[in-house]
Amino acid sequence: MDQLYLLATLAGTRIAVDAREVEAVVRLTDISPVPGMGVHVAGLSALRSRVLTIIDVAALIRGQATAAERRGLAIIANISGHSYGLMVDGVSDICRVPDGELPLRGQLDPAWAPYARAIVEHEGHPWLLVSLAAFIEGGAVAQAA
Amino acid sequence: MDELLQEFISETQETLEALAGEVIAWEADPGDRDRLDAIFRFFHTVKGSCGFLNLPRFERLSHAAEDVLSDIRAGNRTADPATVSAVLGIMDRIGELAEAVAVGAALPNENDDFLIGALSALPDEGQPQARAATAPATARQGGAQSGPRTIRLPLSLIDQLMNGVSDMVLARNELSRKLRERTADPELDNVFERLSTCVADMRDVISKTRMQRVDRLFAAIPRMVRDLGRELGKRIDLTLEGGDVEMDREMVEMVVDPLTHIVRNSIDHGIEAPIKRRAAGKPEAGSLRVEARQSGNQIVIAITDDGAGIDTARLVEKSIAAGRLSPDAAARLTEQEKLDLIFQPGLSTANQVTAISGRGVGMDVVRANVERIGGVIALDNNPGRGLCITLRVPLTLTIIPGLIIRAGGQHFAIPRAAVVEILHDNNETLQISDVGGAKIATIRSVRHSMIDLEEVLGMEKPVEAGPRAIMVVRSATGVPYAMGVSAVDNHEELVIRPASPLVMATGVYAGMTLPDNGKPMLLLDAAGLANAAHLPNIIDDRAARQQEAAADAQTGVEMVAALRFEELSGERRLLKLSLIERVEDVDARLFGRSGGRAYVRLDGRLVPVANGLSQFDRDKVSALRLRDDRREVCYPVAAVLDIVEMPAVPDMVAMQGLLSGVAVIDGEHLEVINPFALFATLPEESIVEQARGRCLLADADDGWTREILAPLLRQAGHDVVLGLPGDAIVDPGDVVLCTGGDAAQAAEIMGCRVVHLRASPRPVGPQDGSIYRYDQDALMAAIAGRRA
Repeated sequence: MDQLYLLATLAGTRIAVDAREVEAVVRLTDISPVPGMGVHVAGLSALRSRVLTIIDVAALIRGQATAAERRGLAIIANISGHSYGLMVDGVSDICRVPDGELPLRGQLDPAWAPYARAIVEHEGHPWLLVSLAAFIEGGAVAQAA
Repeated sequence: MDELLQEFISETQETLEALAGEVIAWEADPGDRDRLDAIFRFFHTVKGSCGFLNLPRFERLSHAAEDVLSDIRAGNRTADPATVSAVLGIMDRIGELAEAVAVGAALPNENDDFLIGALSALPDEGQPQARAATAPATARQGGAQSGPRTIRLPLSLIDQLMNGVSDMVLARNELSRKLRERTADPELDNVFERLSTCVADMRDVISKTRMQRVDRLFAAIPRMVRDLGRELGKRIDLTLEGGDVEMDREMVEMVVDPLTHIVRNSIDHGIEAPIKRRAAGKPEAGSLRVEARQSGNQIVIAITDDGAGIDTARLVEKSIAAGRLSPDAAARLTEQEKLDLIFQPGLSTANQVTAISGRGVGMDVVRANVERIGGVIALDNNPGRGLCITLRVPLTLTIIPGLIIRAGGQHFAIPRAAVVEILHDNNETLQISDVGGAKIATIRSVRHSMIDLEEVLGMEKPVEAGPRAIMVVRSATGVPYAMGVSAVDNHEELVIRPASPLVMATGVYAGMTLPDNGKPMLLLDAAGLANAAHLPNIIDDRAARQQEAAADAQTGVEMVAALRFEELSGERRLLKLSLIERVEDVDARLFGRSGGRAYVRLDGRLVPVANGLSQFDRDKVSALRLRDDRREVCYPVAAVLDIVEMPAVPDMVAMQGLLSGVAVIDGEHLEVINPFALFATLPEESIVEQARGRCLLADADDGWTREILAPLLRQAGHDVVLGLPGDAIVDPGDVVLCTGGDAAQAAEIMGCRVVHLRASPRPVGPQDGSIYRYDQDALMAAIAGRRA
């Protein structure tokens, strides 16, 4: 089980992200809003010469935009050729999980259902394994709906 | 080993692409040794390399093809269409195999024997084959394979390099800001200046690496034309031009699909079958021309065929049948609007759906694709005689001139090409009214739908001091509309990059850009905004008519463009610009004088000179070349000054003479040349016509005719032909000069005019219409007169 996972908190939930999906974690600075978009698109932000589309993942889950002053870290990921920054509340660790991916148990909140893939166990806590690409693609669906 | 294999595969694929066109050209001209050699070389190389790389199937295929080609080279076989097809088949298979090896898939397990069999099968002699001869007239480069030295680089590396340079530019800008905050240090500034120049140069060079020759775009066309032509039993002459024009790599990729579609359409629907073409009096082989050229910062690709063109009546019929158009609306359409119906989704003029096209996925998709990359598509339809489709696409996707606008406290960019005009809302030519929630901006009595950018984007409209800016915006296709924004701030060259699909999905953005301040900015999509605001897509033709009427009413101040120039005598005068065909410098020695009239020899013809001048104090004379519907005249001037707007009716009118009046331009009184008088003073018979036609000397053997008459006529400026042209065409303008009666009769039979010459000063009798051969005046008059 050599697979690394990035452990983070998002909308008050412990999440894990496959480290292969993650390019970097950065502290967000300026975000230029994109008017006319759903609340889950926080805006654009420049990372050196790259422009990131910042996704307010919490808004996707809760349907409410994160206040500007609470915007902190973003996970940078390259999804189908475009760079995205996914806002998270905090990042705690990158580590291996000895047990690997475990199937989902219990009744998952429908808001999380499109994004969660499995559970990973770390230091006695379950972390919800999510797929970053699902946030982008699922987000588009949510917007259309 | 892997690396070698990779290189072999990519080289093979590239050569294949380049060669497909060569094979077609070779089929059209089997005697072309160079092409045959190039193809032979390809197979030979493949064979050699794959023996080394242990690729037996490649080896077998290329070996078989090489054998056949070598037979052809030796003259034991001819390159008939069947053979060419078989060779192409082998090339396709090699391509497939290469593809499979490249992606590491299992090799397609098909039987190569069939292909090889087809290759070695002797051509079926009696079989009449609809031969689709295609001859791409692409300019052949001498020494086919000797291009500039190149190396192969992965695209990702170039992209990385691009990003690196962009980062560098940003860092430079940051540094420049920091430097400005400090006290000035000339030494430091100097060094920074140097760094700055280097970075700028570097950016230019890097952006060139993205350029690619249009050749690549054309590479697939000859093959496609040939295959389609054969399939449909049509003959097509293909001409490709301008393959050396360069455009952005990404752009090439974006244009491939629309171009392919148009070419397919042309062959399938445009060019008729040979029988039909013959019936229509056209050559059996249809002509298809694809040419690319650069025009400013655009690439123009024109696809011209001489087929049937678009049947607009059918388009209208189909639209009505499809319920898209009401019959009375159809009656009001102009020809151009009818033609534009072809861009309606799901509409096709094809009578039946063929395998090639006509499934109704058509021009609408083509147009959408072209417009997505900021291009424009235009049709020039000649029903029954052909169609010319012009694609205009920007040179590069990445850099466009744009305007930076402010709305809702945020900055946006909009392509400058989309903006027609910018006004402040306190401008008196502008009137904004509100009807049932709809805003209408009336600018110089033309009504435009008006939107506020903040409203369309769902932003809050801040309360502002000062006037708002109203822009008249026009997308590539749509109707112009007015858009209100807080202000138009700046004009910049913008490096545009695609926005993420999530953002593009809104439809109102066309991309994004990262200006120097490091704050990403969105590029607005003019057409998308109009859609988002649900603007009606109707031109206010009433207003346009009113505007025309208003323009008519204002004829008093109607202005026309005029050329201001200085006469050789020093006066400054004006001449209506539309009369001037061009301005050029003419060698003073070409001017001459004959029969009291000045003329100038231009392009081998004699052109009258308008102001009668033939002597100049300089070597080169600026000359205006003017033309009415029939005649041409040259107007030498001292200098061409500029183009100005002059009133269509001069301020002071003179009805007589060369000058029609005086106009006051910028406080200067300028005489206006009267074009009517200018052409009226020309000789009735233009010199051009007089010089045409020949003098045929019937008695070429006669010494007097040859030694005395011929030089005289030549001196007088006639074309002289010795002897009657046996079977050559005799122009009715020709004049036959003869001394003997026999020749006169022969000439009369040929139907041209005859001048009879006699040796004695006195006529033989009253019926004698001949002319004494030393009576020069009478002779010249007779020649000129007979020709009149």
